[in-house]
Order: sequence, then C-alpha cells, then structure tokens
Amino acid sequence: MFERRLYYHIDWALLLAILALCGLGVAMIYSTTSDPTRAVSRMYITQLYAICLGLVAMVVMLTFDYRTFTDKSHLIYIGLLALLLYVMFFGMVQMGARRWIPLKVFNLQPSEFAKVGVALVLAKFFGENRGSPSWTDLAIGGALTMLPFFLIVKEPDLGTAVTLLPVFLAIAYLAGMKMRILGILALCGILAAPIAWRFALKDYQKSRISTFLDPSQDAKGAGYQQIQARITVGSGGTSGKGFTKGTQGQLRFLPVAHNDFIFSVLAEEQGFAGVLVALGLYLFVILRALEAARLAKDRLGSYLVLGVLASFTFQVIYNITMSAGLAPVKGLTLPLMSYGGSSMIATLAGFGLILNVRMRRFTN
Amino acid sequence: MASVEDRRRITIRLTILQYLITVVFSVLAVSFWVLQVVQHAKFEEMAENNHQRTLALRAPRGLVLDRDGKVLVENRQSYSISIVREHTKDLNRTIRLLAAVLGIDEAGVRTIVDRHRREPTYRPITIVQDATLAQVSAVRARRLDFELPDVVVEQVPTRRYPETIGAHLFGYVGEVNDAQVAGGEGGLKSGDIVGQSGIEKVYNAMLMGQDGAKRVVVNSVGREIRTLEEEQPTEGKRLQLTVDIDVQKAIEDGFDSLGFNGAAVVLDPNNGDVLGFTSRPAYDPNAFAAGIDRVTWASLTSDEDRPLNDRAIQGRYSPGSTFKMAVATAALQEGVITPDFKVHCVGSATFYGRPFKCWKKGGHGTMDLRHAIEQSCNVYFYTIGNMTGIDKIHKWATLLGLGEKSGIDLPNEVQGLVPSPEWKLQYRKEKWYAGETVSVSIGQGSVSVTPVSMAVYAATLANGGTRVTPHLLKAVDDGSGWKPVPPPAPRSREPIDPVKLQAIRDGLWMVVNQAGTGHNALIKGPDGKPIHDVSGKTGTAQVISNQGKERAGKTDKDLRDNGWFVFFAPRDNPQIAGVVFLEHGVHGSNAALVAHHVLDTFFAKKDGRPLPPRPELKANLVP
Repeated sequence: MFERRLYYHIDWALLLAILALCGLGVAMIYSTTSDPTRAVSRMYITQLYAICLGLVAMVVMLTFDYRTFTDKSHLIYIGLLALLLYVMFFGMVQMGARRWIPLKVFNLQPSEFAKVGVALVLAKFFGENRGSPSWTDLAIGGALTMLPFFLIVKEPDLGTAVTLLPVFLAIAYLAGMKMRILGILALCGILAAPIAWRFALKDYQKSRISTFLDPSQDAKGAGYQQIQARITVGSGGTSGKGFTKGTQGQLRFLPVAHNDFIFSVLAEEQGFAGVLVALGLYLFVILRALEAARLAKDRLGSYLVLGVLASFTFQVIYNITMSAGLAPVKGLTLPLMSYGGSSMIATLAGFGLILNVRMRRFTN
Repeated sequence: MASVEDRRRITIRLTILQYLITVVFSVLAVSFWVLQVVQHAKFEEMAENNHQRTLALRAPRGLVLDRDGKVLVENRQSYSISIVREHTKDLNRTIRLLAAVLGIDEAGVRTIVDRHRREPTYRPITIVQDATLAQVSAVRARRLDFELPDVVVEQVPTRRYPETIGAHLFGYVGEVNDAQVAGGEGGLKSGDIVGQSGIEKVYNAMLMGQDGAKRVVVNSVGREIRTLEEEQPTEGKRLQLTVDIDVQKAIEDGFDSLGFNGAAVVLDPNNGDVLGFTSRPAYDPNAFAAGIDRVTWASLTSDEDRPLNDRAIQGRYSPGSTFKMAVATAALQEGVITPDFKVHCVGSATFYGRPFKCWKKGGHGTMDLRHAIEQSCNVYFYTIGNMTGIDKIHKWATLLGLGEKSGIDLPNEVQGLVPSPEWKLQYRKEKWYAGETVSVSIGQGSVSVTPVSMAVYAATLANGGTRVTPHLLKAVDDGSGWKPVPPPAPRSREPIDPVKLQAIRDGLWMVVNQAGTGHNALIKGPDGKPIHDVSGKTGTAQVISNQGKERAGKTDKDLRDNGWFVFFAPRDNPQIAGVVFLEHGVHGSNAALVAHHVLDTFFAKKDGRPLPPRPELKANLVP
C-alpha cells in the first residue's frame, strides 16, 4: 500500500498551490458573506470543514494505487448512477433544482463526484486498448459519459452536466482519437446548436445566451448579472478596493458572490494584481498536473490525470471568463475557490488521484 | 508497458494542450487587464453610481412672526412618498403595487409619474405629500421586504399656519410650476416648494432655505447602509412682520361674527406698518401646504365668491361718502372754501339743469364743513366739489392715496380710479362733463378704490398729508440676529394746513362721537366714557343704480349696498388708521361694528387692559 518512499514523490508544489487557492477562496467567502448589517455568517467555517474533508478524501485517494480505483471503476460508476437516480427521486430541492442529498453535516451533491467517476471509468476503458480508439470505442465511451450526463441534465443542472463532456473529449483525444473525428464532432456541435436552441434549451437558458450577445437589451433582467460582473471586475482597478471593501459584492449588486462570482469579487477587492496571482496559481496547477500526465508510468495514469484535469480546467476557464462578464452566466462554480462542500471534496479527491499517478510513476 | 508509439503520441498531445491552455490563460489575463486597468475609470464610475445615492434634505422655510414675536407661520414635519426611477426594474409593477399599498387610485399615480417622466431618473417623483402614518408604515414594511426598493419615504418640512387667519396676507406655498422653473428665479428646480401668493411669494427668496444633501451608500435593494457625507439644510430666513396678531384676530373675529364678505386694512399712520389685513371669504392656507388636492382646488376656483381673490388689494369698489374728505381737502387746500363755509341743504340741489338728491329727504338745513362731514350732507359736497373742479379733486384725492397703487409688499395689487378729464379723454374718448364732477364729489360716478388705498387715505388724513407706503416686513433674521428693515419711503408728502385738517378731523370725530353714522365705532373705557377720540366716516355705496335695481327686479344676485368705514384714532395724535369694507354690508355703520372691535382691541392692548372677548356683532340689515 503506502510505502514510505512514495512520500518523497508527492508533488508538494502542486499541493501547495492547491492549498493557496483554497485559502484565497476562504478569504473571499469571508469577505463577501460578512455583511455588517447582518450577523457574521459562518460560511467560511463551513468551507474550512469542507477543505479538511477534501484533504481526507485526498489522502484516501493517495493511499491506494490508482489502479486499485480504476479496477473498481465499474463498481464506482454503477454506484454513482445509483446515487444520481436516488437524487432524481428523493433529492432535496433547492432553488428549483433537485441536486442534493441532505446529510447531517452538509448536502451531498453527487453530480460533483460524477466527474471523478466518469474520469475513472473512461481512463480504464480507453487504457485497456492500444492504438487510436475505433468508432465503437468512441461510441461506448460516449455512452458511458452520456448516461450520467442526462441524469444530471434532468435535475436540472446543465452546467455541471456539461463539465462531463471535456472528460470524455480529453481522454479520447489523448487516447489518439483522430483529429479528423474531433473536427467532425465540433462540426456536429455547431450544426446541432440551432436545433438545441429550438428544442432543447429552456427559455431562461435562451435568454441568458441572447443577453450575453447584447447585455443591454435586458439590463435589469438576465443581462444584469453580466453587466454587474463587468462593473465589479472593472472597478477593482490595478490594486483593488481592499479586503472586504468591495462595494459590488458587499452590497449584493452581484448575486451569489461567494459562489459563482467569487472570482469577480477577488478582482474587485484585490485588483488586477490579485487576478494575476490567482490566474498564475491556476495555470501552475493545470500545467503541473499535465506534467503528471506526461510522467505517468502507463496510459491508464495519463488518461486518468487528464480526465480529472479536463473538467477542472474547463470549469476554471469558463467561470473566470464568466466572472469578467465575458461569457453567458451559467451556474458553474470555480473549483477550489467557490463555496461548496461537494465540489471541494470531489475536486480535492480528484487531485488526490493526480498526485497518486505522479507519486507512483516509478512503482510497478 | 506503454508502447513507444503511445508514449510519443501522449507527449505530443499533452504539449499541445499545454500551449493551448497557456494561450487561453494569457488571453484571460489580457482581458482582465483591459477591464481593470484600461477601462477602470468607466467601471469605477458605474460602481459608484450603483451604490451611492444623493438624497435631498429639504430646508424648512423661514418662520414668520408678528410684530411682538408671536409665531404666525411655522413648519411641521410631514412625510412624502416618492418613486425614484433610477433603479426601477418594472415601473408598471411599482406603480401598481404602490397604489395598492397606499390605497390610492392607480391612474392618479400614473398621471403624476407621466408628468415627470422626462426628468432625470434620480430625482424623486412625489406621489403622496403629507402621507398618513398608516401609508408611511405600509410603504416602510414593503421596503423591508425589498418589494418596493425604488420607493422612498422622505421627511419634508411643511408649512403650517397655526390659526387660519390672514390667508391672503400670508398667501400659500406650492410646488414650483414649469413657468417659474423656466423663468429661472434664483435657481428653482422642479419639485421645489415656493410661495405662490402673499408674503410667501413676495419674500420667497428670503423664506426659502438652502436644501441640504446626504450621500449614502445603498445596497442592491436600495437599503441605506451608511452615510458618506451630509450637508445640513439651511433654514430660510425668519421674517418679522409689522402685523399685530391681536389686531389681526380682532379683524377676523369681527368678520366671522358679522358674516359678511369684504376686506379690512389697518395701518400705523405714522410709518405705514400694516397692523392687520384681511380679505373675506378666505381659504385655509394649510390646504396648499402639502399639495392641494384637485377637489379643494376646483371648489376654490369655481366658487362665485372667489375666495382666492384678495379683495383688499384687488377689489375695486365705489367709495361712496368716504370720498367726501378728499373733496373737502381739495376745496380747503386750494383755498376754495374755509372750514366755516356754509351751504343750505333742502334735500336736493340742481346743477347744470339736473337735480342731485341729498340722502336726507327734508334736507339738512344750513351747515358748515364740520357738520356736513358729520351728517354726510350730499348737497354740501355737491356744492363745494363743483366749486373746486375735477382737476383739483383729482389732484388731492391722489395725494391722499386714492386711485393709486399703495405699493404694499403683496403681489398683484390693482390700481383704483379717481377720474380726471385727461383720463376720460384717453380711455373713453369723451369730453368731461361738469355734471360728472358733482357725482364724483360724493364718491360716485366712475370713482373706484381698493380697500388698501382707502387705508392709506385714512392714514394720510390722520398724519396730515404723508402718503405712507403700507408694508408688512419689519425685520429679517438670517440666523445672525434680527436686522430691522426700514419702512419704505412715503409715496408723497404734501402737508395739509393743520387748521384746515383739524376741521376735517373734527367732522370725522363728530361722525363717531356725536350725531353721525359712525357711532358703532365708539370705544369706551372701563368707566363707560368714550376714550381715544375715535374718528371715522361711513360710506354706503350702491352696487347698482336705483334704475338698474328696478330693472333687475327679483334676482338671486346680492344687490345690497356695500358698506365702508374709514377711521383713525385718537383724533389729535393718531396711532391707528384703517378701513373696513363690507361687501353687500347694507350700511357703513355695520362696517363700523368691526372697526369698533379692532380699535377696542388695539387700545386695550396699548393701555394694558384685558383684551375684549370675541364680539357677537349684529348687523343692521334695514337699508
């Protein structure tokens, strides 16, 4: 199991960067939720608990060889589907969506764990083949992704569901999927957009997208958040308004500031300097994890690292773009920084796997 | 275990990803740089507009005090409920909800909002002035629930007239109208409350304070979080009027008791201080203070008695017999007669082939000027007026204050008329007939006067020829102590020979103290003896000629005669002078009833006696 020498192969730099981002997140949560007109909120404490739980999960993920997890990935996957089904029927409803399983300490959001689960099962699936994946492989891999995807879409939580797609695409890409196929898929996506627009999207989703293209057409409604996001970020300036001194987040012009828009608040209070630090940390984490994928001793490890990293990277980039009002507002949190227990635990567990792959690059 | 080929492919594809992600992060960094550094100023301003609001702190208007420092006009706090559209998401919803919460008509709210639609959105549109406490708390409750974040409750100082006296004197305030804003009087802005009439209007610039402002931080639902800076409003200047509240009340009580419409102006004949001033019917200035409602306004403007009209300075009436002193002054001063000049009255006299009647059928017999004034003998004044001529009558009537504007510091005073041949030629394109002079001699014909000019006339006779300018402002306090305002210069000064003047004064004294028609004005001391030598003259003026009255037959219109009483006291060293005019008051002696109460009050106060109680006056309605 855990041999002493493995300890020396832990990527401490990556871990440190991750913890730094978590710390930044806690600070921002403290700042946005400490409303002087109300009682001091204890959200940042909850977040600290989540980080501790996440670190425990990370240690668990480190303790066993990652192959142990991939070997059991079919069981994990089935368990995951079961949880998603359970949520569908018995989950707790909050803000119009049925996403949570209420536990004593916090509310479990299985969809957050789906990312790791899908990464495991896809890494295992593609890792067993050599050479570029065939159409059949792609179809099966796609199906494995789409099953939880649809369960999550039904909650409804389109945002989280969409983060599963990069997992599949990234692993297939790394497994040697022909670039031509990637092109065809991209083309299909573009062609499907009008159809999705017509049939699949709900009105509020449509309005979010159309207001993104022209926020002023609905400055008080759906365009509001986007305009406010830009104001929040822009008003931060070079050095920011100072910790807990932001007006946009503090006075709630920007909704869910501790959650979806935490990066906007960082930009407001810490300015461009803070943004560069956070961007740098995220870039470091991603590149460092890609390094782990390259160093992995087998395909399986590489695929697993990239699978976990794919949804993380997608979410980071999308959330930060949205935080600056440069992308349609979508309920996607910023991993490691946004408030949310399930996301934090799942993300840290995922990084546990990445560290695991790197740490065991020399073992047999 | 991975094959070399796999390894190579993975390395290449990971490298591609590395570059891709680095590029994406670089683009993100540049985007943030553009937003945060390049466009920072723009967004900073937008953020400030987001969370900062400037609220007006209304300055209270200056207090108005009487000559003894008693409060005549003050302020009270009222609440007004307004919509600030700056952050309104759905104006229709706000209007609907607000109308429901306030329990008022939605269409009415919409009309108000539409009227101000083009104003800047940060400026509050006042929906309800002087809201009830129930309305205020209903709105506040909704605000706490974030349902009406764009509705504000403002505390506004509102004018209060503690006693409904002197309505036309104080005037009233109201929201500035578009013409006044466009006229640019002292930087007025929409929504300001300004004086629209009376003292409130004339001294508006002094009475209006300087509004303050409060810059506050609000959150996204408009709740105030803290105050950034606060500029206190400056209260308007305090004004002290020449008015004596006791005299004023005495006038009002007199009118209330008698029930006639009319006007009264009481002056200090030595300097023109207005001691009391009223016009009846009156209105309640309080009704305007917080925005007059449409029903009240309509009833005020459509009332046939025209309560908004200030009869004291805007009503023109035939003076009747009260004009006789002007004729007497002209005849005496121009050397046409002496006080001992005698005329024999047989009840009528013929001039230029036309008979002119005296009011006393049998005639007064032979009488001098003093007795002619006492008895108000028409034939005497026909005779001396005819001897004096219209030009000289015109000259002296004007010098005494008639047919001229008094110059009182109230808005929209009109000018009366003392006719002259020039006037007739210019406006009627006709020659003056000598017979007209005879009619004018007893205050008929085209002579018309305003009550305020009659008060000046009484004062000029009282002080011996100085035509004082009636004025209301005595002192001003801009916060650094009272500064007296010197009385305005007299309009003219033409001393009347004291001997001749004394004859007129004697006649007027006899009107009140002897066999004259002014007996009602006599005031008595505690011992029952007449005091303070009240002097005066009644006048009873037809509102329609006798022939006209017959032609009209039975009509709903009030055709009863108007009653005048001009007075001053004491005869030899007058301290008070004035006029009481009763519209359709039947007889001048009824006006003397009011004057009596005024004089009684004035001198009781001066002598240190208890003020007389509210009188119960009974008019003599027999013509």
